[in-house]
Amino acid sequence: MDTVTAGAVSIGQELPSLSRHPTQRRIDAYSTVRAHSIHSDEAWAQAKGFRTCLAQGMMSTAYVSDMMTRFLGAGFVKGGRMSIAFVKPVYAGDRLTVRGVVKDKREVEGRTRVVVEVTCTNQHGQQIAIGTASGFLP
Amino acid sequence: MIEFKPLTYESLQVGEEFVSDTQLVTPEDVETYAFAVEDEHPWFSGDSPFGGPVAPPTMLGNQALRLRHSRYIVRAGLHAKMEFHFLEPIRHGMRVRSRGRVIDKYERRGKPYMVTEFVTEDEQGTVLVRGQFTQMLFRD
Repeated sequence: MDTVTAGAVSIGQELPSLSRHPTQRRIDAYSTVRAHSIHSDEAWAQAKGFRTCLAQGMMSTAYVSDMMTRFLGAGFVKGGRMSIAFVKPVYAGDRLTVRGVVKDKREVEGRTRVVVEVTCTNQHGQQIAIGTASGFLP
Repeated sequence: MIEFKPLTYESLQVGEEFVSDTQLVTPEDVETYAFAVEDEHPWFSGDSPFGGPVAPPTMLGNQALRLRHSRYIVRAGLHAKMEFHFLEPIRHGMRVRSRGRVIDKYERRGKPYMVTEFVTEDEQGTVLVRGQFTQMLFRD
């Protein structure tokens, strides 16, 4: 899998977006099936005020990690950082789009850390997770 | 023997510490996680720049997030924020565990929140991942 090269990153650059589809089966695999869980027990989720089961918010961090690992490779797997706020629920079956825009490049102990502003939106165009992720250029 | 009790905002103490059980990182676990999050990067099942396959950096997030389940019955909660620092790759075959400490609790717009900092480390105590998360508690 090709990653970026040092000279090829510029402020404002958009990363290739990802599409993700957290089905109930994938949520079950991620969260494990448990009684009294808003992720795998639909009746319990509805009792807590949700229309159906929710994906774990943290699944969005995995999508961002995927995007960043494609972008920076080893410089994200070792040395990556992420700070994400989960701003709206993700329901089973939602279709999400993960996007990133390069916001900064910083020299850190002889390496270049690239900071990316990230967003995840659902099929209605609503932001469900926002934040930043960063890692080192190869 | 652990005496589990329901988690409530009132019973939760800032400074409380938690330790997870140890988990062996198996290829099957990595494969299941990769399926769940639709991330089939070749480094997760084959060779990587780190020598051998690695796990997705976020894979052990649930071990940290569930630290409070080692002492409390947690009926429901919502995850509000997550921070990760990926310090070392997670390799297949590692035995890993997470340790955490409640560093804050607060109420905002009538809803209770708890903030936990954590580290996930290997058998030698090398820190692989460091981070912090904020969870909203549900009141019954």
